[in-house]
Amino acid sequence: MIALTSPYLWYTTRATGLVALVLFTVVVCLGTFVSNRVGGTSVGRFELNELHRSVSMVAVAFLVVHIVTTVVDSYVPTGWLSTVVPMTSSYKRLDVAIGAVAFDLILAVWASSLMKTRMANTSWRFIHWFSWLAFVAAIVHGFLTGTDGRSGIGLAVIVSCASAVLVTALWRFFKRPARALGRTALSPLAPQDATKTDATKTDATTATPTTTTTKTTRPFPSGSHQRDRTRR
Amino acid sequence: MSRRIDHFVLKVDPILCDGFGHCHELAPELVHVDEWGYPIINEQPTSSSDLALLKSAKLAVRGCPRSALRIERISGPT
Amino acid sequence: MTMTISLPRVMHAASGRPLSLREHEATFGTTTVGAALLRELDASGLLGRGGASFTTAKKVELLRSQRGHHKVVVVNAMEGEPVGHKDRTLLSSNPHLVLDGAQYLATLIGARRIDVCVSRKDSAIVHHVQRSLHERELRKSGPTFVLHTPPWRYVAGEESALVHWLNDNETMPQYRPSRPHVLHVGRSPALVVNAETSAHAGMIGRFGADWFRELGTPLSPGSTLVSITGAVFRPTVHEVALGTTLRSILADAGADPDPQAILLGGYGGAWLSAEHQDVAYCNEALGPYGASVGAGIIVVVPKAACGIAETQRIVAWMANESSRQCGPCAFGLPALAQDLRTVLRGSRDPRTVLERLKQRCAVIDGRGACRHPDGVVRLVQSALEVFKDDVESHVNGTPCEGVTSSRHWVAVPALERESELVWE
Repeated sequence: MIALTSPYLWYTTRATGLVALVLFTVVVCLGTFVSNRVGGTSVGRFELNELHRSVSMVAVAFLVVHIVTTVVDSYVPTGWLSTVVPMTSSYKRLDVAIGAVAFDLILAVWASSLMKTRMANTSWRFIHWFSWLAFVAAIVHGFLTGTDGRSGIGLAVIVSCASAVLVTALWRFFKRPARALGRTALSPLAPQDATKTDATKTDATTATPTTTTTKTTRPFPSGSHQRDRTRR
Repeated sequence: MSRRIDHFVLKVDPILCDGFGHCHELAPELVHVDEWGYPIINEQPTSSSDLALLKSAKLAVRGCPRSALRIERISGPT
Repeated sequence: MTMTISLPRVMHAASGRPLSLREHEATFGTTTVGAALLRELDASGLLGRGGASFTTAKKVELLRSQRGHHKVVVVNAMEGEPVGHKDRTLLSSNPHLVLDGAQYLATLIGARRIDVCVSRKDSAIVHHVQRSLHERELRKSGPTFVLHTPPWRYVAGEESALVHWLNDNETMPQYRPSRPHVLHVGRSPALVVNAETSAHAGMIGRFGADWFRELGTPLSPGSTLVSITGAVFRPTVHEVALGTTLRSILADAGADPDPQAILLGGYGGAWLSAEHQDVAYCNEALGPYGASVGAGIIVVVPKAACGIAETQRIVAWMANESSRQCGPCAFGLPALAQDLRTVLRGSRDPRTVLERLKQRCAVIDGRGACRHPDGVVRLVQSALEVFKDDVESHVNGTPCEGVTSSRHWVAVPALERESELVWE
C-alpha cells in the first residue's frame, strides 16, 4: 500500500462526513413527510417522495467519498474491511465500528430501494425501518470519531441534526395516520365541514353511545382477523 | 381480425394501497381520488399510442410508495 | 339403490342427530357412477351453493388443468352469514354426504387431502364432523381428511380468506387480480367448495346427472337448502327445488302471508318487495329484480318493521366485519351506516343525505379486493328502491312506527365494540 496522505484527504473526510450527516437528516425528514402524507395542496406528495429519493442519492455519494478518503488516507490506519465489518479497525475501533454499522444499514436500505420493484413491498418496508437505526449510528459515530464533533461548528451541526430528527420522529409517531387515513386535499369529494356538523347536529338530539365525533380511532382493531395463535 | 394488445389500463391492488394519493398527482387523467383519499381508476382502456398518458401511468406506477399499481396491457375497449 | 327424485334429497333421512357411516351407507347406498363422474358432474350443471353460484364442473376443470402434484380440496362449512344455518344443519344430519362429495371431487382433481373447515364457535358441529372423520379413518382408504376450525368472522367464509387462514392464520381476503384465479394452500392448488355443494356432488356421484336434473330448472338444476328466518312460524332449514315460487317456499315455512319485503341471499344480498313473491326461486328469475339465491338465505320482514332500520343495523355490522385492508371498504361502509342512520333520524338537508348515500354507493362499489363492499352496496341500493316510500317519509322528518320498535326481524349479531367502527 503506497503511503498516501495529505491534509486535504483528512479535510475531505471530515467535511464530507458532516455534509453527509446533514443530507441524511434532510432525507430522514423528507421520508417522514412522505409517510405522514404531507402535501397535496401547495407541494405535491410525489414531489416530496422524489426529493427524498434524489437527496438520498446525493447523501450516499458524499458518504462514499467520506469512506474512500478515510480508507485511502494512510494517516489513519483503517482498512477497507473495517468500513463494513465492525470492530476490525486498528484506529478508534469502536467509533469506526459504529460508522461501519451505519454504513451497512444505509447500504441495505439503499440497495433494497434500488431493487424495490423486484421485491415484496413488506420486505422493503421492513428493511427501510432500519434507516432510523442507521441515523442514530451516524450521529454517534460523528460525535465520537472526529475532533470536530466535540466542539465548535461540528458539534453544533451534530446537535442540530440530532434534534431535528428527534423532533421529526416524535411528530412522525404522534401524527401518524390512523390506519391509512389518506385524506388528500386534492379530492373534490373531500368532505367539507357541512358533513361533520350535520352528523353532530343530528346526533346531539338523540343519545348515542357511539363515539361519532372522535376522529382518531384505535389504529387497528384486535379482532380475530389478527394472528390466530390457537390454531389447531 | 385479431385484436392487438395496443391499449393499457392501470390496475391497483386495493390491499396494498394505503391512500397516499401519489398516483392521482402523477396521472390525474387516469386516477381520481375518493373522499377518503383512495384511487378511483379509470377502467376504460387507453390507447398505448397516447404517449403522454402512458408516461404518466408509468410515473404513477414508479411513484407509488406501496408499489400497488400495475400497468396491464389489453386489447382495447370491449 | 334408487333414490326418489322428490325432496328431500341432501336432507334425506335427517333426524335429530348425524347419521353414522353405516346408516349413511344403508340409506344412500354405496354404488357410484364410477369413471363417469366427471361427465355426470358436467351434465348436472351443479352450481355452487356458497353464494357465488359458480359452476362446479368449471371449477373442477380448472383444477384438473393445474400442474401441482399435491392438490387439496377445501370443504367450506364456515357459513359466514349469521342468519344462515344450512351448512350447520347439513353437517348435523348428513355429514357423510358432504364428505362423500368431497371425496368424489378429490378423485376428480387428483387431490390426496381434504381440508374440512368448520367454524370453532359451533362446538357441537365440530364434534359431529370429528366423529364422522374418525369413522372414515377406520376404513383406511381414500384421501386424508383433516379438520380445521378457523375463528368465525363474516369474511371467514370467503374462499380466499379461508385459504389465507389455512396458510397464514389470518382470515383476510386476498386480492385476486384476474379470474379465474387458483388459490393455493401452501404450494398445493386448492378446490374450495361449499359444504352443501359437496353434498350435492355426493348425490350426483351416486345417482347421476339425469336424476339430479329432475328437479329444478334447466339453468338452475337440482334442489337447494334455504335458511328461512324472520316473520315465520317455522324458522329453519328447508330443502326446496330451485324454481319453486318464493310464495310457496314462504308458505311452507309458515311465513307472514302479507309481509313487507324479503331479504334474499344474505347480508350482502338484496331486498325483494313482497308484491314480487310469485317469482321463481332461482337466479335467472331473481336476476331482473336485482336479487339472487346467494347462500340460500331468506328473511321475511313484516309490515310492522322498518326496512331502513333493519338495513342500517345490517350495514353497521357488516362495516365492523370488514377486514379493513382496503380503504373504500374500511372507510366507506361505516360512512354508509352513518348516512343510513341520518336518513332514519331525519336531517335538515334530506336531499343532500340521500344524494351522498347514492354517490357513496357508486364510489365504493367494486373497489375492494373481495366482494364484501359490493354486497353491502347492493343491499343499500335495493333498500332505497324497495323501501322508497319509507325513505321519503323518514327524510322528511316523519319516521315510520317501525323505527321505534325494539323488535327486529333480521337477526344481526351485536356489534362487538362500537368504537371499533371508523366513523368519520
